[in-house]
Amino acid sequence: MTLLQWRDEFRVGIEEVDFEHRELIELINATHAQAGAGASLESLDRALGDIHSAISAHFALEEKVMHRRQYDALAEHKADHERLLDDIREIMDDVALHGVFDEAVFGQRLADWFGVHFRTHDARFHHAIAR
Amino acid sequence: MNGLKRALRALFDRLENLLERVFGPRLNPLPQLGTLGWFLFWIVAATGIYVYVFFDTGVTQAWESLDRLTREQWYLGGLMRSLHRYASDLLVVVVLVHALREFSLDRMRGNRWFPWVTGVPLLWFMFASGITGYWLVWDRLAQFVAVETTKWLDGIGIFSEPIARNFLDNDRVSGRFFTLMVYVHIAVPLLMLLAMWIHISRHAHARVNPPRPLAIATLVALVALSFAWPALSQPPADLDYVPFEFGFDWFYLAFYPLIPQIGGTTLWLVLVGGSVLLTMMPWLPPQRRPPVAQVDLGNCNGCARCFADCPFGAITMVRRTDGLPFDQEARVDAGLCMSCGICVGACPTATPFRRAEELVAGIELPERSMAGLREEVLAATATLTGPARVVVFRCHHDAGAQALADGQTAVLALPCAAMVPPPFFDLVLSRKHADGVLVSGCAAHDCYERLGDQWVEARLAAERDPKLRARVPRTRIGTHWGNAARHRSLRRALQDFRRHLQGLPPERTTATVAEPLWRPAPRGPRVPLRAAGQAASLAVVMAMVGYFATAPAYSYLPEGHGVLQLSVRHAGQPLKPCRRHTREELANLPFNQRTATTCERGRWPVRVEVDMDGKPLYRGTHAPAGLWNDGPSAAHASFRIPAGRHVIDARLRDDGRTGEFKFVARRTLELAPGENFVIEFSSFEGGFVFGRPAAAAAAEAQP
Repeated sequence: MTLLQWRDEFRVGIEEVDFEHRELIELINATHAQAGAGASLESLDRALGDIHSAISAHFALEEKVMHRRQYDALAEHKADHERLLDDIREIMDDVALHGVFDEAVFGQRLADWFGVHFRTHDARFHHAIAR
Repeated sequence: MNGLKRALRALFDRLENLLERVFGPRLNPLPQLGTLGWFLFWIVAATGIYVYVFFDTGVTQAWESLDRLTREQWYLGGLMRSLHRYASDLLVVVVLVHALREFSLDRMRGNRWFPWVTGVPLLWFMFASGITGYWLVWDRLAQFVAVETTKWLDGIGIFSEPIARNFLDNDRVSGRFFTLMVYVHIAVPLLMLLAMWIHISRHAHARVNPPRPLAIATLVALVALSFAWPALSQPPADLDYVPFEFGFDWFYLAFYPLIPQIGGTTLWLVLVGGSVLLTMMPWLPPQRRPPVAQVDLGNCNGCARCFADCPFGAITMVRRTDGLPFDQEARVDAGLCMSCGICVGACPTATPFRRAEELVAGIELPERSMAGLREEVLAATATLTGPARVVVFRCHHDAGAQALADGQTAVLALPCAAMVPPPFFDLVLSRKHADGVLVSGCAAHDCYERLGDQWVEARLAAERDPKLRARVPRTRIGTHWGNAARHRSLRRALQDFRRHLQGLPPERTTATVAEPLWRPAPRGPRVPLRAAGQAASLAVVMAMVGYFATAPAYSYLPEGHGVLQLSVRHAGQPLKPCRRHTREELANLPFNQRTATTCERGRWPVRVEVDMDGKPLYRGTHAPAGLWNDGPSAAHASFRIPAGRHVIDARLRDDGRTGEFKFVARRTLELAPGENFVIEFSSFEGGFVFGRPAAAAAAEAQP
């Protein structure tokens, strides 16, 4: 079973942002599946590095869009982005430095973050631009 | 050329370090010369507007109105006038030192040619503004400026008759001239402002204001100078006499003494030739340009961080071209890119943690790839040993960090310190490749790539994207900003940084962004001494400005001498005499063109000879003006001659068919020291007129 499911209500209404959201979900699901299939820590470390990079780039794009649209909750939204990036980096350090990867924790953290972030922050942005 | 540049660079580096000790890095005036130039321009403009309100355009009124303003309203009008002069003079100093410094630092090469090339006309505008300003005062100095400038302009050879003839004596100066000059004095600075805007137009985040404390200190120093040494007019101009000596502004007029020495035409050749040479400097000699940054669309989602950080405006965000559903992509203008790599440091995909696929950032420098940098970091740190292993990221213009590499120090060089993406700091520290990271870049606020030091500081302090992750311990990151002359300081900083690292607890899990970066101990004397040093530095500059604004006096005319001026304007005889139209010719002409006579165009040149005391003083043949050579011939010459009695013989021939001089005159004159004696040929008076025109002398004799 896939970790994250793309749903239509996740759409913020900006094509490039929605496109990257779908790509990120695919990337995370692929890594989760890789972990479930017993991938080595080395390959998980590599995959997590790519997830981290892709999310960083996506957040940069999303923040640009918000900035240009003068979105009033940008600072709050951005802080949530940084929190997720920090979380992923800690998971990466656990793998690289301590050889620890807990598939359940990884799945739970990302599912929680995406679920909450999509439901709250992204939904709010969606409503803001719809106005 | 390179030797000269190196010597100048060494000099400026030392001066920059000295001033940094006194003013601190943020207020160091040397990297602020450009912004100080803008600030001084605004002072000159504002004070000029005030003075203009009280200025009266007239031959005698010009001098009187300014003198009245200076004396009766010394507390404001006098202050404004003095500020106008001294800020203009300081502007010359600031601009010339700025240009010399940019030249010595090679900051006009490659794609940086634009500010340099557009700076050359700025010099012309600046000097033209100053010269027209001095002209308006109409005192002894203005008289000199008027006479010599018109001679200089006549050296171009484009005027149909010499404009120096307008300043032969008092009677020929018109009040309207001052109205014209006021407009020129306003128009030229306006053009200069436009040129200043063009000068910086290629810079992203261009700075046009100096830091406020520095601006205030400069203004206060100028006000103090203005009260201590007010700008005053010299005695009013009197064209019937030539001043022997007068106060001289060496900032604006330093090349004027050359006009009587080498002549206007030669001076034009020197100045225009010099300007052309200056303009070509960015390409002398041609140099290899490193390849510019390249966008990799597969890794670019159009986030615009590279666009926001590029100091040279070389990146634009354009509509997406690869069909992916992104709105924009970055595009690099190869004509603007300086290959500094700051854009790479800003790219969110330039992270060394990417390892599943080949590390290619959304924007990369072909000669310094991120994959290569990661490999270098890993290889260099793999062999480090010791309790305080340090990675140094250095730029090509730092204090020479390459000499610091040893068993516990890995040094990695990049075009600019801001090319290092923040995740590289994260990689080194979180994966324990080293115990600390030191950034070694150009002098603070004087980055060779304009903004590198500011972006590094802001990214590490998490004030600007891409921010260094909050949980990376800032106490393990240090910066050292210093030019090439600060090598010992950098070495000391590294030793101190290592000691600092050894004193840190081995594991930190609670790092926060609020922790300050490690910095070298502040240099320079204590606050009271620094304040005294700042005051002394400004006092030295102001004393120099105040002194050279009027001194040393310029000796224009040798003692015991006077000036003899020759002025001729006369139409030579027609090459062929006019003749009557024949009856047939008249019949063939349209009705409205029928005239009794017909004259072919073209006149004989006019030959003028003047002897003094039996010896030739002047010989000249002057072609007629006009495209058809049918205008009057004109000539102007002036001679410095000993005062006393002289016999002058003047001759003029206006018809080449005969060898005879039609107009011949002899006069014995008593030339007083400093007297300006005019010999004019006037067709109206019927020949040569010695001394002031009869009509003017008669008018003066009237009660």
